[in-house]
Amino acid sequence: MAEPELTGAPSAAIDASRVPSVVASHISITYRVFSPGRSEELDDPSDETGPLRRMLRRTSPGVGVREVEAVKDVSFVAYKGESIGVLGRNGSGKSTLLRTIAGVVPPTSGQLWLNGRAALLGVNAVLMARLSGRRNIWIGALAMGLTPDEVRERFDDIVEFADIGEFIDMPMSSYSSGMAARLRFAISTAVVPDILVVDEALSTGDAHFRDRANERITQIREQAGTVFIVSHNAATIQSLCDRALWIDGGRLLADGKPGPVAGLYQRKYGKNRHIWRERYAEIHRVIDQQGLEGARDLLRKWEPEGGW
Amino acid sequence: MTDIGPDPQYSPPYLPAAEAAALAARYDLTQVGVRPGFGAYVRELWRYRHLTWTLAKGEFVAENQDNHLGWLWSVINPILLGVAYYLIFGVLIGTRGGIDNFVTFLTIGLFVFIPISSALASGTKVLISRIKMIRSLTFPRVILPITVTLSQFVSAGPAFAVLVVIALLAGEPVTAEWLLFPVALLIVFFMCLGFALIGSRLVHAFRDLGNLMPLLTRLLRYVSGVFFSLEASIARFDGAPDWVGHILEFQPVAVALTLVREPMMAEFPLRWETWAIASAWAFGLTLVGFVFFWRGEGSYGRA
Repeated sequence: MAEPELTGAPSAAIDASRVPSVVASHISITYRVFSPGRSEELDDPSDETGPLRRMLRRTSPGVGVREVEAVKDVSFVAYKGESIGVLGRNGSGKSTLLRTIAGVVPPTSGQLWLNGRAALLGVNAVLMARLSGRRNIWIGALAMGLTPDEVRERFDDIVEFADIGEFIDMPMSSYSSGMAARLRFAISTAVVPDILVVDEALSTGDAHFRDRANERITQIREQAGTVFIVSHNAATIQSLCDRALWIDGGRLLADGKPGPVAGLYQRKYGKNRHIWRERYAEIHRVIDQQGLEGARDLLRKWEPEGGW
Repeated sequence: MTDIGPDPQYSPPYLPAAEAAALAARYDLTQVGVRPGFGAYVRELWRYRHLTWTLAKGEFVAENQDNHLGWLWSVINPILLGVAYYLIFGVLIGTRGGIDNFVTFLTIGLFVFIPISSALASGTKVLISRIKMIRSLTFPRVILPITVTLSQFVSAGPAFAVLVVIALLAGEPVTAEWLLFPVALLIVFFMCLGFALIGSRLVHAFRDLGNLMPLLTRLLRYVSGVFFSLEASIARFDGAPDWVGHILEFQPVAVALTLVREPMMAEFPLRWETWAIASAWAFGLTLVGFVFFWRGEGSYGRA
């Protein structure tokens, strides 16, 4: 296949000196949600249409499907050795995006390329709850592409890391949430994936396990893999990552160093959000009255390191 | 209210699609969420054969562990069901219709129909019911319908053993033809696999079809000669054109039951047309189903 010809200067989004591990190009993901969904205007009490009209308009409840656009036109390039934090509120589309990166939910439009094998690690990574931990280790490890011999070889390591003792032969539905999380973590890191996606798995489990898990994530990073970590906790991201993405309402709003990106996130949703709201209102007023230069002075005053 | 949105300084830089593609090509990255080539898909399936088998066993275990007797139920259940149907159709209603060994006839019909109907019911829904698994592990999705069908036949294993015992007890003579019994089951398996492959993609695309499946299985149960002789019933139609009879007799499920009865029962001699048509169904359904399912790969998991 001929390489598409590049026109002009390369995009600022590409760092040509590093090896990419994930290239996401204009990814959108739309879910079908089957629900008796109707728009809320139908239940509006101030609706003044007659009862007959209302009845006709009320298409049968309990019928229909809604499309939810979870991720909208997200593009980025991730490089080997990077550890990327994904910030965003619940329902912002970050988990959906990461499932796509892990290759388990195909994007509705856009293209995604991976360098190597991706593994998803998360609270939602349900194996078969009715089966024992032992069988689930087999299923998980085989699904990651190990041969039966390799599974046998690593089986004890997985069990030891998961530290679930005699529960190994009990159905996973009898596990505590911490135990299940440990087992899932142990299975998905049994093979060092090229791209590891951690979906808030570290929030469960006790302090010791969290330490060991962090150690393992560091190991994977050192083996030139790429790690994505999802969290709505900005502090976690700042301590574990060297790059951050902020997803809000399905859009990628910011991409950069964890500090400033987390700062942006906190401006909008942190406990000082009302202050920032006032400041932004102030800036818009200043821009209207004095032009951009005045606004820049103001921003420098609030955020000296901002580089305004 | 002012929107506290993105900051121009940290907004993601624009990445043109062509440059992204060029970058991916330069480092030879693999695109995900797209359908692999047919050959690659088959190789991939072969690479995951151990997973398929482990999942099928797991499915069987999971289905049979929630009570005290465990997997013994996969033997007890078909026996009880056989007794019930014998009382209803053999004694109460009397659909014997000139069959000498009605017990064997009924047992074969029932025990073979059970995995067929379960494969239809759970096999076609598999992309919906295993959505969580799909969303946490990457593997060729065709494994799922294969697994479900396989597990239905593994569960039916004890029932097939019971079937042989019943045939012996009912006085069927043991002949060399009995060796064809497993072959017949294998052909039936591939028919079911074809159904599951085709049905699962259809149900994934239009999931309302899943609600029609119970109707379809019920219909098949009554028109396929599970507990009455299809031949005798067709003969009763006056003036019906021949092809109606042929369709009834050679539709996949009916021919599957005949296929298993022929080697086991002395009163049904082996006929080449049964075996030819059944094999054609099995081969055709599996091949068409596999290609059809593969064509949808890369879209599973989103619905």
